Amino acid sequence: MSNPGTRATPVVRPATGLIPARLGGGGGFFRSRTFQLVGLGVVLAVGIALPYLGTNSFAISLTSTILIAAILASSVNFLVGEGGMASLGHGAIAGAAAYGAGWASKQGMDVGMQVVLALAVTLVVSFVYGVLSMRTSGIYFLMVTLAVGMLIFGLASKYTTVTNGDTGISGIARPEFLGEYWTYYYFVLAMFVVSTALLWIVGRSPFGASLRGIRDSESRMRSLGYGVAWYKVGAFMISGFIAGLAGLLSVWHTGFVSPTSTGVERSVLLIVMVILGGVGTTLGPLIGAAIVVLIENVLSSYVDRWQLILGLIFIAVILFARAGIAGSIAKLVRRGRRRPA
Amino acid sequence: MLIAQQILNGLSFGATLFLLASGLTLVFGLMRIVNMAHGAFYMLGGYVGIAVSAISGNLLVGLVAAIAVVGVLAFIVEIGLLRFVRGQELPEVLLTIGVSFVVADVCLWIFGGDPQQLPNAVRPQGTLTIGTFSAPWYSLFVIGVALVIGIALALVQTRTRVGAIVRAGVDNREVISAMGVNIRWVFTGMFVVGAALAAIGGTIGAGRTPILQGVQNEVLLYALVVIIIGGLGSIAGAAVGSAVIGLIDVFAKTYIPELSYFTVFLPMALVLVIRPQGLFGRTA
Repeated sequence: MSNPGTRATPVVRPATGLIPARLGGGGGFFRSRTFQLVGLGVVLAVGIALPYLGTNSFAISLTSTILIAAILASSVNFLVGEGGMASLGHGAIAGAAAYGAGWASKQGMDVGMQVVLALAVTLVVSFVYGVLSMRTSGIYFLMVTLAVGMLIFGLASKYTTVTNGDTGISGIARPEFLGEYWTYYYFVLAMFVVSTALLWIVGRSPFGASLRGIRDSESRMRSLGYGVAWYKVGAFMISGFIAGLAGLLSVWHTGFVSPTSTGVERSVLLIVMVILGGVGTTLGPLIGAAIVVLIENVLSSYVDRWQLILGLIFIAVILFARAGIAGSIAKLVRRGRRRPA
Repeated sequence: MLIAQQILNGLSFGATLFLLASGLTLVFGLMRIVNMAHGAFYMLGGYVGIAVSAISGNLLVGLVAAIAVVGVLAFIVEIGLLRFVRGQELPEVLLTIGVSFVVADVCLWIFGGDPQQLPNAVRPQGTLTIGTFSAPWYSLFVIGVALVIGIALALVQTRTRVGAIVRAGVDNREVISAMGVNIRWVFTGMFVVGAALAAIGGTIGAGRTPILQGVQNEVLLYALVVIIIGGLGSIAGAAVGSAVIGLIDVFAKTYIPELSYFTVFLPMALVLVIRPQGLFGRTA
């Protein structure tokens, strides 16, 4: 590295400019939290009522897809928002978990073993990610996660004896009590709430505070005596666990897993979701996931150029609404409240 | 003889990789941007090169057209988008991801989804035969182009005033701007040169492997692997990294196809963990 200013650590401010001037700090913090809790309550109410609103099975199933994507995006959001670590490998973690479940199902094991294997694969993979990336930050972190993601993709597509190669594994059944599309929808919704709550609690804990400290100044945290590297591994394990959960949910949703679901394109879309929604916000991942999934699944049947549209939206958000959609709304609400006071 | 054949094959793949990776590594070295649109520039360059050389019947004309189109695009991206997020690492990277989406989709729009290859009429044909060993002229041609460009880049960087400015910019941009060099335009120029190298790689590479949707991500990943192994910002590192990865890839695809991706990305993961600055990179 060559810039003398950055010689001590390869990358000084990993996430500069991406974290919306800290959602809060002082009085604004409480307000934005209330705002987010109210938002979450509304989303939950709509989510519970959805099957009764005359929606068909396609809409419900699409909503499940959005929720699963949102869980995955929230695991990425946690790492970027709290730890300043932008990962391009989370698609592969979810994919690895899905392969764990898929392999168990291929061997004729029951649902319990599917869960155990998915969990085991997730934990091992997240640990490998964490250990390989724990001494890096910023762009280097991005590239390590990218590389490990590609390793998993390579295994998925070429190690045919285990993964069936590019054909993938199909016919993976979910537990019988979740067989109906709407029972499964409620299960996914519950998992979304649980994982969002979990990440929220971790974010507010002393551990979360230390992570934000590392994000803002790694060298300072190190000189304060924190084991920065292991904090990062811990953060990665938590985030990876949620990503693995999303992978298991998605393989139960579609009954199918192929190398595509571990690919870089997936991981890139996750980052797109997080940025679109707003880094570090509670509702952001859901908003971002909804936009991306809807563009990918609904808009694409009307217009051919959905990738172009997605790319342009993404560029516009980075240039003009760095805080993302949820972040920008929160900012507007705060501004509106402050004015009369 | 099979082994010699594969070594040649690996080196010619490595030569394409070098054309691609040298642009990426130069841009990173000076601007600290990992240009995720580099693969899309390669793809666009490939499509334009194929189309124009097919019409004109001349590879050189195709090359010039590819460089011109991609160069103009890179110029617009640099002054129209990247300047607004200068110095903010993640937004810069993410912006180039967005550009990559857009360019790839516009390519699909214009050139369609079928794989396209450089027409046979415009490329050096036949084989060079020495005993039982036969080398396609095209492979030798690709290696030759990469060598010439590599040497030219190294000479420009070490022997000319422009090269001196760029090296100074890599070392300390504040001081070089204080000395009266408009570093913003140096950045723009470097970005355009990097993109032009990708365009050359795309056109020449289209004679080896077809250009199609998805190739942008594949070549970008290979290029990233190369520059990480070689050391970010180092031309020599890009050369060595390209040769190594080209050879590993060709041999792995022949002998252990089940692990072929693994063999490319494992060395990169190892380098990142053991020597994060890369083989030729300067210490962090």
